[in-house]
Amino acid sequence: MNIGIPRALSYFDYFPMWQTFFNHLGFKITISSPTTKDILNKGVSLCVDDACLPVKIFHGHVADLVGKVDAIFVPRLISVSPGEFICPKFIGLPEMIKNSIKNLPPLLIFNYNLHKDTEDKKNAFYDLGRQLGLSSRSIEKAYKEAISRQYIYEVMLESGQNPLAILHPKEKWDKLDSCKGVIGIIAHSYLVCDRYISMDIVRKIRNKGYDVRVVGNVSQKKIEDNLKAMPKRLFWSYGKKLLGSGMEWLKGNEVDGIIFLSSFACGIDSFIEELIQRFNARKLKLPYAVFTVDEHSGQAGFDTRLEAFLDMLEWRDKSGYNFSSHGQDVYSGKSSF
Amino acid sequence: MVITFPHMGKMYIPVKALFDELDVDIVIPPKISKKTLEIGLKTCPEMACLPLKINIGNYVESIKRGADTIVLSGSCGPCRFGYYGVVQKEILRDLGYDVEIVILDPPREGIKEFWERVKKISGNSSLYKGLRAINKAFKVCEETEKLLQLVLRQRCREVHKGDTDRIFNRFEEKIRKVKGAQAILDCIYETKEELENIAVDNKKRPIKVGIVGEIYTIIEPYVNLEIEKRLGNMGVEVHREMSVDGWVKFHLSPDIKFRRRQKRILEEAKDYLGLCIGGHAWETVAHTLNYSRQGMDGIIQLLPFGCMPEIVAESILPTIAKDENIPIMTLVVDELTGEAGYQTRLEAFVDLLHLERSRKENEFGKVLSWN
Repeated sequence: MNIGIPRALSYFDYFPMWQTFFNHLGFKITISSPTTKDILNKGVSLCVDDACLPVKIFHGHVADLVGKVDAIFVPRLISVSPGEFICPKFIGLPEMIKNSIKNLPPLLIFNYNLHKDTEDKKNAFYDLGRQLGLSSRSIEKAYKEAISRQYIYEVMLESGQNPLAILHPKEKWDKLDSCKGVIGIIAHSYLVCDRYISMDIVRKIRNKGYDVRVVGNVSQKKIEDNLKAMPKRLFWSYGKKLLGSGMEWLKGNEVDGIIFLSSFACGIDSFIEELIQRFNARKLKLPYAVFTVDEHSGQAGFDTRLEAFLDMLEWRDKSGYNFSSHGQDVYSGKSSF
Repeated sequence: MVITFPHMGKMYIPVKALFDELDVDIVIPPKISKKTLEIGLKTCPEMACLPLKINIGNYVESIKRGADTIVLSGSCGPCRFGYYGVVQKEILRDLGYDVEIVILDPPREGIKEFWERVKKISGNSSLYKGLRAINKAFKVCEETEKLLQLVLRQRCREVHKGDTDRIFNRFEEKIRKVKGAQAILDCIYETKEELENIAVDNKKRPIKVGIVGEIYTIIEPYVNLEIEKRLGNMGVEVHREMSVDGWVKFHLSPDIKFRRRQKRILEEAKDYLGLCIGGHAWETVAHTLNYSRQGMDGIIQLLPFGCMPEIVAESILPTIAKDENIPIMTLVVDELTGEAGYQTRLEAFVDLLHLERSRKENEFGKVLSWN
């Protein structure tokens, strides 16, 4: 049986786990091709208008797989950590797919719910295995292999590896020896790792001579420690990652600038971005920019803003806070340019 | 300590009753207006959902009238509402308002903290007094909802247009001036009697429309551009299950009968959506199904722009519309919703429902405007 996995949303966080599981059980898997204009257009036309870009893209990837595979794997991530949730759209994803796309092959729905206990992880895989009609013994073996692979992936990320380097091993992703600085990108992994919708921001920044850190590079322990300062427990796992790593970088010794990459109408980002922006404005005043992408984003405008942001970083190194937007510097009398 | 709270439809009536009984001073925020919204728009994150922006407007207007403590209920579900308190606190802090926000999270998030917060806002009343006040507030809540349902029933049947609205407006003016739960109840009963005595056409069989969607948008008339009034004045009977009273009964009071009825409605929808995904998306789907089986002529879904759970419901509704053969319209509201366009869409929808009904009643099924 040929199982299709859409290359979108939680794929970028959990692909080692899923791929290993299916491979170990001897299934052929087909991963939809990286996002293209065509996939985006398909997604936009199938999905309800009000959904956010990543969800539309997911629709596009599923539509791309229709007709090519015998079953499509659709994860329903309810919770990935006890007492926490993910975005409601992740929970309702299978329903959205079922009601929006026609002529679907059977869906393999992966109900992943660790809201009560992390041990429930196993049940999710058993449930998935039973949908495929497998024996408990073979599921058990594949499951163990799958979570160990997942663990390795997470350790690699925490040690500072760029997720894109793991996803695209053929390209050159060496550590930059003499980088001008480090930019922290606060964004969901499904934005940063999808090179089409993030307009390949990581590569662009690296080409300008800056190194990049992403949210996955901050360890879970640091995130938890930082969030203790919040007056109320944050209950979104992804939101925690964004806010926790943002607070870590706001301590000021790891990055020289922060870029918040968000998709239009993302509910969680709208709150996290607001908090980080306010914390930054009160304390450190690190260079900070918000980039919002949606299905209409123009490449040229995006590039211009990114270049302007990086230029600003360099000028700041040269003349501190005192540069005027035009002509001579107000304080030192030197030219700002 | 002067307490204030955000507006949500007619919720201020039971809340006023509660704090009046506890002898705690409160400021009821002025009725939501364009000015309220503008305060919110200037200061809130652009992408945040509409209720957050209006809440901030309510707070600022109340603070200017002397409030210094804000009470807000919380939750820890996937919906953004659960984190309102924290974000609003940061916004108010940067605006320079030194106020306290008391978030009433569900007790399972920490029973001790919950208890301390309750004690703080109850003005150190005795337990007996507290329980009595809560009991009375429940009563007021129930009666208010009954009054609102009566308004819905009478408005589409009234003989002299505007009778219902006039009586109800007078009631809203009066309720802000009276003090104490009993006085509020008297006021409600009085209005009820007045409403029951207006001239109505009982033979009329109005078009019936069910309203589903996000709770705040449904019950706050400013946000939904007074959809109930608009439809009612077109002669449409509006059905609305979602209410403050329903929420209170489902989550706070031990009303088992009501809870079982709601659970049954939710169960019936399990073919379309079988689990809670946060907010009121499950209820939206379940109520849509329930309304269409009750013989409504049409259903309108309301949601604020960007509402995460309702978007999932929105993508399920077309399937129900097809399966149950019932017209469903989704209206997304935000701060830019234009009144004229909104009215046109409502009128067009109601026209369609009239046509649909006459087509069903005509056995040949051949009534279309152009043939």
